[in-house]
Amino acid sequence: MELFKPEFGLAFWMFIAFLCLFAILAKWAWPFIIKSMEDRADLIDKGVAYAQEAKMHRDNAKAEADKVLSEAHAKQNEILREAEKMRNQLIENARSEAAIEAKKVTEAAQVSIEQARKETEKQLRLEVGDLALQIAEKVIRRNIAGDDAQRALVDQYLSEVEAKN
Amino acid sequence: MKKAITAIIAVVILALMAWGYADAARHSHGGLTEVNPQEIIFEHLGDTYGWEVPFSHSKRIPLPIIVKEKGGPWHVFMSSRLENGSEYQGFKIAEGGDYNNKVVQMLPDGSEYRPWDLSITKNVAGILISALLVLLMIFKVRNWYRKNGMKAPRRFTAALELVVDFVYTDTIRPIMGKEAPKYGPYLLTAFFFILTMNLLGLTVIFPGGANLTGNLAVTAVLALATFLITNFTGTKHYWKEMFWPEVPTALKCPVPMMQIIELFGIFTKPVALMIRLFANMLGGHMVVIVFILLIFIFGSMFGVAVGAGMTVLSLAMSLFMLLLDTLVSFIQAYVFTILSTMFISMAHVHAHHQEAVPEEVKD
Repeated sequence: MELFKPEFGLAFWMFIAFLCLFAILAKWAWPFIIKSMEDRADLIDKGVAYAQEAKMHRDNAKAEADKVLSEAHAKQNEILREAEKMRNQLIENARSEAAIEAKKVTEAAQVSIEQARKETEKQLRLEVGDLALQIAEKVIRRNIAGDDAQRALVDQYLSEVEAKN
Repeated sequence: MKKAITAIIAVVILALMAWGYADAARHSHGGLTEVNPQEIIFEHLGDTYGWEVPFSHSKRIPLPIIVKEKGGPWHVFMSSRLENGSEYQGFKIAEGGDYNNKVVQMLPDGSEYRPWDLSITKNVAGILISALLVLLMIFKVRNWYRKNGMKAPRRFTAALELVVDFVYTDTIRPIMGKEAPKYGPYLLTAFFFILTMNLLGLTVIFPGGANLTGNLAVTAVLALATFLITNFTGTKHYWKEMFWPEVPTALKCPVPMMQIIELFGIFTKPVALMIRLFANMLGGHMVVIVFILLIFIFGSMFGVAVGAGMTVLSLAMSLFMLLLDTLVSFIQAYVFTILSTMFISMAHVHAHHQEAVPEEVKD
């Protein structure tokens, strides 16, 4: 059977071809390719590790920022509350002061009104007396001598006026 | 639309089949009754001087013939000079006899002498083309790395890198460990060379079609390489295990039984490598050809119509076989590589058995 008899020439060329191929590839190609592949695998591993680390850092930073933010919110609320309280107090103070002042003013006004009224009354009394006296003088000039009864009447009126005050 | 295209393609293929069949029937001068399957099969699987031009039965691409005259100088000439049984400088291609289809020198006494023959035959040319293809492929990847450095590979480089990664990182390195960088280049070269030869052998037209790894000489050289590396790099402990294994003395002292078995083992391993690759590829090729020949066998037995009807079934089956052979091409290249890896690493055992001997992988 021809198929099972290895041909020397073919084996010879096969050997040469295989040897050359091996020599060329082993010298210039395989080490370089294998090294490149491994380098890149390392690079990718490192990249993944780096990315994970970066993610962790970012998560930490985010948590920190959240904390700071919530603290700031709390502080803001506190400040607002304080301000509100202060404002209320201020208004309250102002209101009570104003009330006191108003009361004082009212009292002063009342005092002066009272005084004025008394003054007026005194004046009026004098004027009324004078007027009465003038009226009486006129009446008297006409018939003072003979009319005692009328004089008594005038007196009575004056007393009444006095009693009214 | 899709259906229309499919139908057109099917019609074209059927027409081509029928045309090919009619063409073949016209060319076989004695009619279809003279089909000799054995001759056709061995012609296709064997080696030839010159390479058939696709779709032409008679034309051949001439290749150089290099032969040494008996007791004389080397002769180099093109194979076209020996076509159709013609003689040139005393050489001709033998028809029948011990040296059927080989170049022989006609001695003055009329006998045939087989000279030293280093011709670039079809198979040698196929081997050189395969080697060139492997070189181009691997250097393309290497140059890509040189140019693009650490970028992610694309397209062809990525596809090839996947294979390199699978063979080297996932197979060779786990078995060999620290020694992987030392033997990796040999094993990777063997893998890609075998794979390329396998696939090129399955390609029907030039530059494929040469039955490379289905040839014993080719697989013998490949196995020899593994054999040489295994035994020349073997450690002291490997040889000690060979000649003084750790077994009861009765098995090794008066009658060197274990030694004989171990010695056989040295040779059976590469021979198994050689035969496995050879038989797998040869078998695949043979089945494909037989399926195709069924057309002509049926045609000669039951008439032309049956033969024509057989084309569809035959081609479907041989297409299936070709696809199977493509798978086998990958598997056998891988099996050769992984077994070589194991044989080499088994020759590197050290005294205290830190390495478990890997189990034999069955193909």
